[in-house]
Amino acid sequence: MIATAPTPCILETRNLTKRFPGVTALRDVSFNLKPGEIHALCGENGAGKSTLIKLLSGIHPHGSYEGELRVDGGAATFKSIRDAEKSGIAVITQEFALVDELSVAENIFLGREPMRHGRIDWLAMHSRANSLLAGFGLAIASETLVKDLGVGHKQLIEIVRAIDKKSRVLVLDEPTAALSDQEVAVLLDHLRRLRDAGTTCVYISHKLDEVFAIADRITVLRDGASIVTLGADTATIPLIIKHMVGREITDLFPRKPSVATGKTVLSVHNLTCSRTRGEAPLLKDISFDLHEGEVLGIGGLMGAGRTELLMHLFGAWGVRHGGSVNLRGKPVDHPTPTRSIRDGLVLASEDRRRYGLILSQTIGFNLSLSSIHAFTHKTKIDAPSEYLRNQQFFDQLRVKAPGQSSIVGGLSGGNQQKVVLGKALMTGPSIVFLDEPTRGIDVGAKLEVYELINRLTAEGKAVVLVSSELPELMGMSDRILMLCEGRVGGEFSRREFTQERLLAAAMGRTDTLAA
Amino acid sequence: MNFKSALKPLAMPLALVAICAFFALREPVFLSPRNLTQLFIEFSVVATLALGVFMIILTGNIDLSVGSGVGLIGGVAAVLVFKQDWPAPLAMGAALVVSMLLWTLMGTLIVKQKIPSFIITLGGLLIFKGLFWLVIENSTIPVSRGDEDNLYSLLTTYYLPSFAGLALAAAIAAGSAWLLYSARRARRSHKLPVEASAKAIGKWAATAAAVFAVVIVCNQFRGVPLSLLILAATATTVYFLTRHTPFGRYLYAIGGNEEAAVLSGINVHRVLIGAFVLMGVAVAITGFMMTAYSGASTTTVGDLMELDAIAACVIGGTALKGGRGTVWGVLFGALIMTALLNGMTLIAVPPELKFIARGSVLALAVWVDVRFGRT
Repeated sequence: MIATAPTPCILETRNLTKRFPGVTALRDVSFNLKPGEIHALCGENGAGKSTLIKLLSGIHPHGSYEGELRVDGGAATFKSIRDAEKSGIAVITQEFALVDELSVAENIFLGREPMRHGRIDWLAMHSRANSLLAGFGLAIASETLVKDLGVGHKQLIEIVRAIDKKSRVLVLDEPTAALSDQEVAVLLDHLRRLRDAGTTCVYISHKLDEVFAIADRITVLRDGASIVTLGADTATIPLIIKHMVGREITDLFPRKPSVATGKTVLSVHNLTCSRTRGEAPLLKDISFDLHEGEVLGIGGLMGAGRTELLMHLFGAWGVRHGGSVNLRGKPVDHPTPTRSIRDGLVLASEDRRRYGLILSQTIGFNLSLSSIHAFTHKTKIDAPSEYLRNQQFFDQLRVKAPGQSSIVGGLSGGNQQKVVLGKALMTGPSIVFLDEPTRGIDVGAKLEVYELINRLTAEGKAVVLVSSELPELMGMSDRILMLCEGRVGGEFSRREFTQERLLAAAMGRTDTLAA
Repeated sequence: MNFKSALKPLAMPLALVAICAFFALREPVFLSPRNLTQLFIEFSVVATLALGVFMIILTGNIDLSVGSGVGLIGGVAAVLVFKQDWPAPLAMGAALVVSMLLWTLMGTLIVKQKIPSFIITLGGLLIFKGLFWLVIENSTIPVSRGDEDNLYSLLTTYYLPSFAGLALAAAIAAGSAWLLYSARRARRSHKLPVEASAKAIGKWAATAAAVFAVVIVCNQFRGVPLSLLILAATATTVYFLTRHTPFGRYLYAIGGNEEAAVLSGINVHRVLIGAFVLMGVAVAITGFMMTAYSGASTTTVGDLMELDAIAACVIGGTALKGGRGTVWGVLFGALIMTALLNGMTLIAVPPELKFIARGSVLALAVWVDVRFGRT
């Protein structure tokens, strides 16, 4: 860094240390924010990013940590989120803070509704909301209920709301985890414009491409400590990864060539389904086969029906209009999750907090939940053997927590994901559906998931991998099925993989397909 | 914060001691063996019902119909005994079947038709009350013919002989010691962490001492009441179900996150209906004990018992949104409610103030839980 006149920091931390019972989440973290910069925070799960944000935003109040937090050069003592907001710090977390039953406009202006003569000025609210949405390039009516929006749109609404609060410091925790590429581009564009208008931004993302596309400086956290702060122009992706994991990772997608036997375990013919009876079908005429020992990637844009397809085959979604499904030669007409698991088919859901975990319970409770009958002798759970089995998965998956009696709700995203995977694998499946298994988790944990996929297929299990990230899909799949508006847009074998072809298939441009 | 978390497990025992001390100071008779035996019988009735409601609340559902159900099922058995001259065991068996059918029906409606349990059981509250009054024709039906005793009337009037009570206490102490020992041995042989032995022995000794104390107090009057044994059996069963069976796990899982429970392969419908069937059993047992305690089936039997049962659960730390709670907590909650009611009756608190006190204690208990429960 060239010595210039010191610009005052808008936000600075000095030697922050935060301890929880059994863990030190942050040790001696120092970093600073300059006005009008986009500052990326990178680090593995459990590196302390979320804890740091919680300190900055007042969720962990002043007094519950050691060290100093300074705003505009003066000591800050946030007692609550409100205090932080008053200082102009707004945080957008991975969990949605939206009210499902209210409209988009009501959510954007929640707590600061435009008033007129002591009443809510609905016209002003909706017209302001519509112009905000239009400015964001979002084709959503302000009167739409939030519950009718997809995950990606919900995230964008949160961002719109925070940006409209005119915060000086915007802290974005994994804002793009659920966004499609176009949505990400729109968001990054807006952040750049906000930066140029003087807003400071803390940007947390596992997607390093994004980080490099947008950040001015990058701070890496590892094991609760701040390792290094680099200018984005001087850093490189491998360098950042090296700092994050403390070692060098040579191969981002370590997919080993499949040992597929060719034996078909699941075959789907002309499947057509809708959400409920009497609705127009969302899945149309889908056919594919799944073989032992292979990874079948399923891609597509948001709303293409990827999650619905997995959920339907697993028995948790939709009504079948036509088509057939065969599981190891046996027709499956009315699947339920209970039956699927019994027949060796498991699903690790994309929305782990909603569909994957009992957040209020312990790691052990969650791990064994789907397999508890295996430990039950004459109606009684054999606690020691359950404990041992849980411990085995806990160790194997390298869950970072004091022990299997830790509550799942307190774990970081990557560790929660490991519990979801552990629960699915403990059932001893032969077919594993993974819906966005690496969403919101860091490079190191991703690598562990990939290695797990390799292990599964080496054991002859069949894996279906749904992912929004094309590099991941291409890196880890033996075959890829692209869905487009509920139909199969194209099927590709490994040597046919190119981003262009896959995207063309996802957008229904079959004319560019070279099969 | 350390002070708070240290205080939490002691909050309920301290509240109970405070309530008892208050009533004992106002009216020494409160601690007499006779009154304490009465209190134990009342406790048995409330706690048995509360244990059934507990399993429903664990899943995040609610049952408002149990009070009316207690009256109805007790009434059905009384009519069969008194008017139809059925033998008491047969009459009670038939009433139990009726109860299980009614609760299966409610559970099925809730699960299959997706009607909220609050609504179904609110309907049940009114319907069962109406059916109850129809069954007993708005009159008073004794639980036995003439003055003779039968199994029905003995539910709350039979007391174990002193030596049998003591023998039972000894058996419980020995049995629990054996269970504790074999569980620890099993864990050790798998090289699993075990609780410090001094702590485990201390806990066991405290429990055993409490059991003996209850027996000795009861023996000063007429002996251990049969209803207390019925409660003990119910509590042991519910404890086993919730702690040691997949069914119990699933109750917690459904209350914690029903969607995740479905995707984990749990047959949520079957578990929920199962919980309601067990509720029906608890209602029947409570109905027999409550009616027997009243001496006859009259239109007021079971009034507001749903609220006492729910209050016992909540005071005992059961989360109304489901997924959290223990049998020990429910028993403590029921004991606190019973001690309060019994004490207030004893010092002749007017009924209007009794209602106000019950409501205040419930609100206070939830406040304490919210304030100190989560650190």
